[in-house]
Amino acid sequence: MSLPTSGQRQSWRAAAQTQITSTLDNTKIGQKNLRWYLTGWRMGIFWLVIAALVPWVLDTSLQVTAITICIYVMLALGLNIVVGYAGLLDLGYVAFFVIGAYTMAAGSFGFIQLANGDTKAVPSFPFWILLPAGAILAGFFGALLGAPTLRLRGDYLAIVTLGFGEIVPIVFNNVPYFFGPVGISAQPPNDIGPISFSDPSFPAPFYYLTLLIVVLIILAVLSLRGSSLGRAWVAIREDETAAASSGVNLVRTKLLAFGLGATVGGIGGVMNAAFTTSITPKDFSFNISITILIMVVLGGLGSVPGVILGAILLRFFDVYLLGQVNDAVHNSVLVAGNGAPLHFLAGVDFNTSKYLIYGLILVGMILVRPQGLIPDKRRTRELHGVGAAPESLSIVGIVAEEEAGVAVGGEGSEDETAFSGAGSDAQGRED
Amino acid sequence: MHMLTLADTAGIGIFFQQIENGITLGAMYALVALGYTLVYGIIELINFAHGDVFMWSTLVTLVVVQALGITGTLTGMALIGVLLLLIVIGVAVSAGLNVTIERLAYKPLRRAPRLAPLIAAIGASFILENAAQLWRGSSFVAFPAIFPPGKISIGSLSINYLDIFIVALAVALMIGLDRVIRLTRLGRAMRATAQDPEAASLMGVNIDRTIVYTFLIGGALAGATGVFYNLYIGQVWFLTGFQLGLIAFTAAVLGGIGNVNGAVLGGFLIGIINSLAIQYIPSGFQWSNAIVFAILVLILVFRPSGLLGQRVPDKV
Repeated sequence: MSLPTSGQRQSWRAAAQTQITSTLDNTKIGQKNLRWYLTGWRMGIFWLVIAALVPWVLDTSLQVTAITICIYVMLALGLNIVVGYAGLLDLGYVAFFVIGAYTMAAGSFGFIQLANGDTKAVPSFPFWILLPAGAILAGFFGALLGAPTLRLRGDYLAIVTLGFGEIVPIVFNNVPYFFGPVGISAQPPNDIGPISFSDPSFPAPFYYLTLLIVVLIILAVLSLRGSSLGRAWVAIREDETAAASSGVNLVRTKLLAFGLGATVGGIGGVMNAAFTTSITPKDFSFNISITILIMVVLGGLGSVPGVILGAILLRFFDVYLLGQVNDAVHNSVLVAGNGAPLHFLAGVDFNTSKYLIYGLILVGMILVRPQGLIPDKRRTRELHGVGAAPESLSIVGIVAEEEAGVAVGGEGSEDETAFSGAGSDAQGRED
Repeated sequence: MHMLTLADTAGIGIFFQQIENGITLGAMYALVALGYTLVYGIIELINFAHGDVFMWSTLVTLVVVQALGITGTLTGMALIGVLLLLIVIGVAVSAGLNVTIERLAYKPLRRAPRLAPLIAAIGASFILENAAQLWRGSSFVAFPAIFPPGKISIGSLSINYLDIFIVALAVALMIGLDRVIRLTRLGRAMRATAQDPEAASLMGVNIDRTIVYTFLIGGALAGATGVFYNLYIGQVWFLTGFQLGLIAFTAAVLGGIGNVNGAVLGGFLIGIINSLAIQYIPSGFQWSNAIVFAILVLILVFRPSGLLGQRVPDKV
């Protein structure tokens, strides 16, 4: 390495000066920049207010859309615990969605179907009991499924969960009691005083109920992230062997990731059944597992705001944009007056090509922007192969390092400044 | 899914007939399982798209047969010519697709964390399935029975010529693969890469090219299987690859993933188990996928290294 020229040295000094001043500016009270206002809980409250306004602003059909978006946000947040936090690929997440939904439906319907085709009356339970029941049942099956694969590499887990996601709907389809392919009805939540959760012309109460649960889940996953369990998840995600030798209990940590992720999926299932009041095994296909995975990858693995955004975007694309694009293309100049297509796009039904587009989004994101739309800082470095070398010794220093990374500003955007150079050096040693 | 040809005698006859069906199915499972195990052996990636690569061979060969206007049984030179054409096309389609996927989706992620190529693989599988559905629709389409229906009878057991053809060709392919791996330069490069890619590359092995050839061979085997599957099952469907892929992967794990002989053994075993399950378990057909999945979980619990695999510690 050659010695720096005096000119270079001067520019380094100048850059260092700017860096120091800007750091001071950031900490000075009363001079907070826009970014400060747009991060953390302030942003959360802002968006919560927006979400709370939905029934006042939007019409009934869009409120229904908002409810399904909320349910998908729940599912994406739950899958994010498993895939984003703990780095375990779950390709059958729909299984827990099914278990939650069938708990709700079978528990509230009041009838089961016997093997000979007769129906039999059974006690039915209210939504308020079935919601925790569905969550616990799904969580139990999540842990049960994770158990055999704990000793194995993540790849096996992916294929076992994929099989599980296929098998669970088959079970509900083939076992008596659940009315087979016909499916089963669910009772909506009981009224509380004058508040009705089952009025199709006034979905606001159900929307607020769903929103409340989403907010609770968001708070739960955010606090999990910073907890010792959350840090253990990061540790096994980055390097299982190192985590184990640093005293992380792999079995407990993985089972909890699986169990908690499944619990959230179960809650989503209960809410879905309570909302649609009718479910069939066909509703729960592999496509849903992948759709939820795409929401997580699109938004940003491990990033809570990202995952929420991913779910909203994909749902919005699905229920709103796709139809619009379809109509726009089919009614546009691409079609001649007699209805003959003038361009190959006019012959494409965008609704049926939805999942193809989803697949392209998934592969495209992983290749081009693996950290997602709103990246999680730590995850970004991992996915770009920086600071996540297998010989990582950073288990103990996870939090310290994360904060150090932010404070030094060594995100790689200011390569020419002396400080970021020093920062990345320090990082290199630490890892 | 399977059109079973049951012997009309009861008891032991049915049992052997199911074994025979299982062997034919197993030959096909084994060929697809080889694709999983070869790729896993070299880059430690479950190529989720492999089953769908197989499905594309069934799809394209169906289109070829339809384009040729073939609707019934062929004989003589026409049969040989058409079979040869279909196999060449099937192999080309699947090998080409497999290599394309590797180049576009897996190669850029070679140094990324494990999760990334795995997600890319499931995405590729999803794209292939849905592209097939868009192209040819989501219903089953019949593949014409071009193979003559004759059979050999041994006691109560009857063996179709088609079954003999499939098993013989599959075994020939397996022997060929074994020769390639054991005796050629490419095979030596593959074994070296599987053992230790860095050391292999220091010894002058072109890792990148070896990986491409591995995908090419795996895809080619899947492509040939696509033709066999069309002749045997006679139903083309965009999700065939998903189902058969799961079964073949289970076969690869049963034999010990990464182990070529294990994949063959696992394929035949799963084929036989599947056939017997359909026969002897009440409404076994509905449950056949669940049974395969249960086998997979049981292997993972009790013998994760498979029947022939070695237990290796994780590379640190």
